[in-house]
Amino acid sequence: MDRRHFLSFTLGSLALAAIPADVKAKDFRKLKPSVWTAHTVDDAIKNLYGSTKLIEKGVKLKTPDVAANGGAIPVDFSTKIAAKTVSVFQDANPESAVIVYDVNPYDMTDYSIKIKMGKPGTITVVVEGKDGKLYAAKKSLDVAKGGCEG
Amino acid sequence: MKVKAKLKNGVIKVKSMAKHGMVTYNQAKKKTGNSEDANFITHITGSINGKTVIDMSTSQFLSKNPIFKFKLKGDEFKKGDKLKMSWVDRKGKTGKGSGKIK
Repeated sequence: MDRRHFLSFTLGSLALAAIPADVKAKDFRKLKPSVWTAHTVDDAIKNLYGSTKLIEKGVKLKTPDVAANGGAIPVDFSTKIAAKTVSVFQDANPESAVIVYDVNPYDMTDYSIKIKMGKPGTITVVVEGKDGKLYAAKKSLDVAKGGCEG
Repeated sequence: MKVKAKLKNGVIKVKSMAKHGMVTYNQAKKKTGNSEDANFITHITGSINGKTVIDMSTSQFLSKNPIFKFKLKGDEFKKGDKLKMSWVDRKGKTGKGSGKIK
């Protein structure tokens, strides 16, 4: 697609959509490679958002208190805050970042994933609000059998 | 990739599973002696009728054969529309799957 076509396409779709949806997928591994190699949660959050100032409210996070199998720990999290991105970190593995969601207008920011943790630790969920502030929830849990060794 | 989507009261509930080993650097090092053999899904996207509805950048710390559940606003979509999902891993391999909204 050449530039002229791309422009008219963009303008056309902007005019069509009442809320202009960003249809382009964002790969945060390519956009922010340093997030994924950071060894601490603070460093990972700083590399992603440029700040570590977290407001601990408005984010729901549910995990078991004791994970029987560290290879697949269910983590449920959601927020009603109008969000730009939602990200998950933990401090039990060599690196911290687990997942980053780029929130689009259809995304209700209500998720459930299964993660690996090699030992007991703390899971941090960060919601980057459209207001530019960082909201978070933290939960510590015990891990009976580590998930990164098997 | 398995995709299940259910529309109810304007909300699409999605359950999706990718078949992948999600091998971490430590696991690879233990197995082959080379941590560069690590391979895991790095990016997953999903769309309905050409519109991106989910976009996830992922790391090696998702479980093996990772499951993703999420909710979407369903006002613009109807039963029978297809949710198409695809992933790419560290080695550049791709996978995809789709499911009709029920």
